[in-house]
Amino acid sequence: LNAAPGRAPRQQVRFLPTPVPGGGGAVELVAARVPVLADHPLVRGPRFRKLKIGAGHRLDVKSSGVFVLGIGHGNKLLTGLHNCHLTKVYTVGGLFGKATDDFSDTGNLVEKTTFDHITREKLERILAVIQGTNQKALLMYSNIDMKTQEAYELAVKGLIRPMAKSPPIITAIRCLQFALPEFQLEIHCLHETQQYLRKMVHEIGLELKSSAVCTQVRRIRDGVFTVDDALLRTQWNLQSIQEAIRNCQHKVQTELEKTL
Amino acid sequence: RRGLGVAAGPPSTRQLREAEETAPVFQYAGKAARRKDRVFVWGFSYSGALGVPSFVRPDAGWKKPRRIQPTPYRLETEEKISSAACGYGFTLLASNTRDITKVWGMGLNKDSQLGFQRTRRDQTKGYEYVLEPSPIPLPLEKPQHTRVLQVSCGRAHSLVLTDSEGVFTMGNNSYGQCGRKIVEDEIYSGSHLIHQLKEFDSRVVQVVCGQDHSLFRTEKGTVYACGWGADGQTGLGHYNITSVPTKLHGDIAGVNIIQVSSYGDCCLAVSDEGDVFGWGNSEYLQLASVTETTQVNVPRHLPFKIGKVKEAACGGTGNVILTEEGNVFVWGYGILGKGPNLTETAVPEMIPPSLFGWSDFSPDIRVAHVRCGLSQFAALTNRGELFVWGKNLRGCLGTGRMEDQYFPWRVTVPGEVVDVACGVDHMVSMVRSF
Repeated sequence: LNAAPGRAPRQQVRFLPTPVPGGGGAVELVAARVPVLADHPLVRGPRFRKLKIGAGHRLDVKSSGVFVLGIGHGNKLLTGLHNCHLTKVYTVGGLFGKATDDFSDTGNLVEKTTFDHITREKLERILAVIQGTNQKALLMYSNIDMKTQEAYELAVKGLIRPMAKSPPIITAIRCLQFALPEFQLEIHCLHETQQYLRKMVHEIGLELKSSAVCTQVRRIRDGVFTVDDALLRTQWNLQSIQEAIRNCQHKVQTELEKTL
Repeated sequence: RRGLGVAAGPPSTRQLREAEETAPVFQYAGKAARRKDRVFVWGFSYSGALGVPSFVRPDAGWKKPRRIQPTPYRLETEEKISSAACGYGFTLLASNTRDITKVWGMGLNKDSQLGFQRTRRDQTKGYEYVLEPSPIPLPLEKPQHTRVLQVSCGRAHSLVLTDSEGVFTMGNNSYGQCGRKIVEDEIYSGSHLIHQLKEFDSRVVQVVCGQDHSLFRTEKGTVYACGWGADGQTGLGHYNITSVPTKLHGDIAGVNIIQVSSYGDCCLAVSDEGDVFGWGNSEYLQLASVTETTQVNVPRHLPFKIGKVKEAACGGTGNVILTEEGNVFVWGYGILGKGPNLTETAVPEMIPPSLFGWSDFSPDIRVAHVRCGLSQFAALTNRGELFVWGKNLRGCLGTGRMEDQYFPWRVTVPGEVVDVACGVDHMVSMVRSF
């Protein structure tokens, strides 16, 4: 990063004494644009000595997916994005028939149950109920007075969401794949932790009169950043990072302006 | 297998896997597990209409009387309830069974709208408040063959529709709403009289109670009415009382009506072609689209251009319509469901489907049924969710809050809601468990 060509040094206007053309000992002042010596690379030294990197929404050790980082000025944008309270999308994989103490498949076994009575319709019914109760929680924690006309208009557009701290809320949930004993869900949520999603899988298992553990939690969208914008482990080099920052700048700007 | 001198360490992966494989498997639900049918009630409980006696007279020392049940409460019933109706402070539950007891009632019984409920202490007196679902003895000719199809409740009278023995009416008859001759100074409290109505042109398929009048819809698509008519709600062309069910004419003559609805003093009928007809009270602009008068005593066609209508429901001051595409239209006066600014309109306004859970994520959600209480509305979606809005009189909306609701709000019920009946200050819903 330091080897890249830096900013051009500042210019200043100085009146320098130059000998008058034509000879003679007289000296006159001539204005000239001269680079400021304080900006010279040998005086200033390397431009970057350390970088401030901040992290966005937390991601568990057992989960994977999009993880947003901010560099330098980006840290301030990170706080702005956090205050936007945008939804995150996860793909959660589950397995019927087992219940463990930490709700994932690597925990200590608590119970094994049968699961052949579970069908896709039953699962979708449970998901509809979860979505319904969370929709109510969405309206309640948004702290808007339900009796006003603005509340009605926001509710029609679907823009009501809690803009302050609130318990985890699931805005949308649907089943992507269902092949007993495995299933995969897509969950859109706010203010959640990955352990909450695993607990949700466990509770879905209980509602279906069986038990379930969570095998995979993968974040595929965090606000405006999707998996397509994310950089793979092999792409962690300067050019890709710079390109990624350039691509996202516009999106982040529009999102911040829309909300604040 | 370890020796006595070796310390026990954390179980290795192989030991864990073996323990897991040998763990016992529990079965909570077999392949033949059936979904159970349940009844949930909520609202004002002191009238006994909720059917839970411990709300009114606590049977344990730590229980306190509960005046209002703000969220759905499960009511244990002996049989599967197929039809329910809420009146003004009382409820009727009916089952499709061939047993002798087919109808249960609870709540106010001051006009014998729940039949004669013999008291335990005195064989001649009847209860004025029934706190528990009590069987209503119907004078059936073949009690082990007839089935009860539907029940309906008004202010102080109730109607029971059977499949082969006509309609049974009980309760107050001071305006002829029970379909029998009015007896002056009749004492309705503790009365044993249950009247049977059989003289219609064909089999009756739907009965509807307004506040003080009754409507009967027959198989052929004709509508009969009797009762109080000062607002024209009997639709017979006059404003007098009618004590015998008489056929309606007007704009519905010759039209095959598939649904009738009424709860207050206004009535709506839907034909098989999707047209809406209305008559009765129009003080709240319910029929203002065709007439300026405040009472309409002949059924008039309401020319709404909103598509084919599937179902209509009348409340006290507002009406709601459901079209074939699943859109909900409201008009009238009061809290209509489009925010606090819309309090009255003569022309139906659509409620945006996004308020019922429709979105790009789930685009196949449709409203399947609409129901009306006196000043509340209820809508059921095809996913089994219940949305309510309107005046929250004594907690009848079931949302858990005491404030009025200006736009559709979900009621959390543990199950798929199959049907709901709305009353003045309480509601009853029939739910299938998961």
